[in-house]
Amino acid sequence: MAKNTFSSEFRNIDVDQYNEDNYKDDDGEPQSPPIGVDEATIVSLMNAGNHADALKLLLANAPVASKGKNEQAKDMALNLVLKVLLSVNKSQMDQIISSLDKTQLDVLMKYIYRGFERPSEGSSAILLIWHEKVYNAGGVGCIVRVLTDRKRV
Amino acid sequence: MCLHNFNSQVVERHNKPEVEVRSSKELLMTAVVVSRNEKEKVLIEPSINSIRISISIKQADDIERILCHKFMRFMMMRAENFIILRRKPVQGYDISFLITNFHTEQMFKHKLVDFVIHFMEEIDKEISEMKLAVNARARECAMEYLKRF
Repeated sequence: MAKNTFSSEFRNIDVDQYNEDNYKDDDGEPQSPPIGVDEATIVSLMNAGNHADALKLLLANAPVASKGKNEQAKDMALNLVLKVLLSVNKSQMDQIISSLDKTQLDVLMKYIYRGFERPSEGSSAILLIWHEKVYNAGGVGCIVRVLTDRKRV
Repeated sequence: MCLHNFNSQVVERHNKPEVEVRSSKELLMTAVVVSRNEKEKVLIEPSINSIRISISIKQADDIERILCHKFMRFMMMRAENFIILRRKPVQGYDISFLITNFHTEQMFKHKLVDFVIHFMEEIDKEISEMKLAVNARARECAMEYLKRF
C-alpha cells in the first residue's frame, strides 16, 4: 500500500477544470471573422465627405468575438471607427443614426463605449453626444445588450 | 440594475458578490467606462448579483489631490454608514461603490441611482469649496503673522 500512494502529484491537478459542466466561452467559433474593411477605402470615403457609408461599411464588417480572441483586428477596426465618429459633425449625426438598423445601432454603441476607454483631446465630448443620440434611438435595451453580449467588439 | 440572488457555485451555502470574487466567467458582464475627459471617468462592472461603480475625480493640482484623497479616506473609513460604499477604491480610481442584490431588495433602485448621481455632482462642488476655504485660511494666517514685520 505504501508503494501506490508514494507520489502525491495528483494533488496538484485542478480537478474542477475537467468538470463537464464548466462554461465554455467560445462555443462554435471555428471561422475567423472577416478581415474587415481596409483603411484606404475608409479614408477615401471620408475625404469624399461620405461619412455615413464609411460608418455603415465598418459596422457591417465589425470583428465581434469573445474576449481575448482576434484582438488585433478588433483594435484596428476600433481606430478606424473612432476616426470616422470624431470627424462627423452634429448635424449629420441624426441623419446617419436614423439610417441604421437595430443590430448596427448595437454595434455602434459597443464602439462608443470602447471609445470612452481611451479618452483623447476632445474625443469624450463628441462621444457623449453620439451616445445620447444613439440612446434616444436605441433605448435602454441597446445599452443592456452591450453589457450582456459575450461577443465583444 | 437587474440583480438576482445567486448562491456561490464554488462553495456551497455561500453567497458572494460575484463582481468581487470573479471566479466564473459566465457570471460577469462587460465592464463599461464613461468618461468626460482623460481625468474624469466612471467604471461600471456588472455581474449577476452585484455591480461595482468606480469614480475617478478631476484633480487639477496638488492641493486638490490632497483634499480629494483625505475626503475620500474620511468617507471610506465610515463606509458602514453609507452601506453601499467600498472600503478601498478599485486600482486607478478614487472611490468605489459596491451594490449587491440584497441592497436592491431593501432599497429602491431609482433612489440608489439618484444617490450615486447626486454624490458625483456634490463631490466636485465640495472639493472646490474646501480648496477656497484652505486658501482663505492660509491667507489670513500669513497676513496676521506678517503684520509683525
